[in-house]
Amino acid sequence: MSKDDEYDYLFKVVLIGDSGVGKSNLLGRFTRNEFNLESKSTIGVEFATRSINVDGKVIKAQIWDTAGQERYRAITSAYYRGAVGALLVYDIAKQQTYENVNRWLKELRDHADTNIVIMLVGNKSDLKYARAVPTEEAKQFSTENGLSFIETSALDATNVELAFQKILTEIYRIVSNKALESENNERGAVPGAGQSITVAPTDTNAPKKAGGCC
Amino acid sequence: MAMLIDCLKVRIKPVSIPTPGSLSHANIGLGVGLLGGRYSLNPQTTTESEIKAAQAREELTRAAAAEEMNLMRKNTETGGTLARKNVATKAELMAEKSKNEEAAMMADIAKLNTMSIRFTKFKTLLDMPVIDLEQLRKLSWSGIPEEIRSTVWKLLMGYLPSSADRRDATLQRKRKEYEEYVAQSFGRGKATLDQALYHQIHIDVNRTHANIPLYQTPRIQEALERVLYCWAIRHPASGYVQGINDLVTPFFHVFLQSQTKGDVERADLSLVSPETLMEVEADSFWCLTKLLDGIQDNYTHLQPGITRQISRLKELINRIDARLYAHLQSQGVEFIQFAFRWMNCLLMRELSLRNTIRMWDSYQAEGTDGFSDFHLYVCAAFLVKWTEQLKKLEFQDMMMFLQSLPTQNWDDKDIELLLSEAYMWKSLFHNSPNHLSTQS
Repeated sequence: MSKDDEYDYLFKVVLIGDSGVGKSNLLGRFTRNEFNLESKSTIGVEFATRSINVDGKVIKAQIWDTAGQERYRAITSAYYRGAVGALLVYDIAKQQTYENVNRWLKELRDHADTNIVIMLVGNKSDLKYARAVPTEEAKQFSTENGLSFIETSALDATNVELAFQKILTEIYRIVSNKALESENNERGAVPGAGQSITVAPTDTNAPKKAGGCC
Repeated sequence: MAMLIDCLKVRIKPVSIPTPGSLSHANIGLGVGLLGGRYSLNPQTTTESEIKAAQAREELTRAAAAEEMNLMRKNTETGGTLARKNVATKAELMAEKSKNEEAAMMADIAKLNTMSIRFTKFKTLLDMPVIDLEQLRKLSWSGIPEEIRSTVWKLLMGYLPSSADRRDATLQRKRKEYEEYVAQSFGRGKATLDQALYHQIHIDVNRTHANIPLYQTPRIQEALERVLYCWAIRHPASGYVQGINDLVTPFFHVFLQSQTKGDVERADLSLVSPETLMEVEADSFWCLTKLLDGIQDNYTHLQPGITRQISRLKELINRIDARLYAHLQSQGVEFIQFAFRWMNCLLMRELSLRNTIRMWDSYQAEGTDGFSDFHLYVCAAFLVKWTEQLKKLEFQDMMMFLQSLPTQNWDDKDIELLLSEAYMWKSLFHNSPNHLSTQS
């Protein structure tokens, strides 16, 4: 309807993770540069959008923010279909939300496209003194499981822009590589350089670390 | 110019008029203009004097609004030649202004009369040894005076018995029962609670009506936590589901209001004794329980109640406003994407707490189906309110618009119009199942 609507690529991304980890505020920070202290729990799904530039191309991100409570899983997982990216968010100050990351990965495995790009996001990095999940631990977990990783703070805006920029760029590279490949020949689905399209691990592979908190 | 506009400001708000689209199917008999219809459509029969007073008020308001419009138009038409006409226009305006003020005063008087008549009627009913609930429902449909709302709600929810001599004993017993529930769960400290459940409730209560100071006080938050926790462990089929935290607040608000002076949102809680607060808490628990009993399958596994409501809403909109329905379809907007929350939180995320409380007067007056069947028609009326805006929007803007509808300035009048429209749709469609037959 307006110039805002001119884009080269449209990527659907979902925000998932436990209740209260700050998904809605990450979205608010990225799309409106707002942090809402009075934000309510998300019921079902909410939607927002923003366009960014990657390699001179306009990438439009359609982001679906989902309710964290288990009861809503059936409703929200319907939104995974067609998503090319997922931001799996936990709270660095709440060990339990990190431990549940495996359950969320399973959700994605069950309901999302196999090639979905997943980024693990440790939010609330401003809560330095309440940290329960060491950065290194989450980083290592991400490497082992083929996920990107970043720590953010929706409150003070640290890394929020970067997180979305990173995942959208990663998706863009995959998509444009694929386009190139199919132009050249049919060599099959070989990931682009540096791209990890890893199938999420089974629960048994996951590290079983007991945290110092909770 | 600014001064002129100032002169034009009348105290009367322009009357909202339903969009033409929302009436398209209603022209058959019922579409006599919803302004007057607000009264004629109500299910209960009001007294003649009440109707007259109301009509007088409406007429005056309408006349004043029309005059205002006229003046505005005149004002714009004069445009460049304003200076020349200034003197005449000013005199004219002064005359108009005093006329308008008079009209406003008359309207206020008529309104006060209506209110006092209504209040007396409620009082008479409530003073009976056995309350005629049918009459109480009829009367409540058009709104319950704040001073007696707490009692009327408890009666309408079936929490208070209709016979006066049983009321005190029932209240005592129920409140004691609830206190025992609390003691069972919280008596040994929070560490013994189901931690996952308690955590979920805790973080949700913390962000319930975060904009209202009352709900940020620890005493109130703890009370709400107890209500929700005790309810959840007694209803394992659903357990606590996000959004139920919203649903307890209208009860809590109204019951606490009856125990405080002035605006409850800013009440001085130090004046409310622990015993009183416990009573408010217990009453809220039982009324929430009654409410949720009626819509339990909204919250059980897979939330089938909500799915059903949404598919009914979809069919209803197709009947009421086929063009809007087609537009939503063509843009790929699914009803579940916006209406899920409408059903899950009974529109509480779309409307203010005050609006909700007024709405619940009528929901409870509708009887046992108020929060399910009647709510469905309210949702339909609510959606078609935005038809004109929605039709201009494409998918993304439509989604964003539907997620934050501009209802911030809605007052009782807007809610009452919505309720009348819903009532109209219900009378048109509810008893004609063929209109709503599933296409599957």
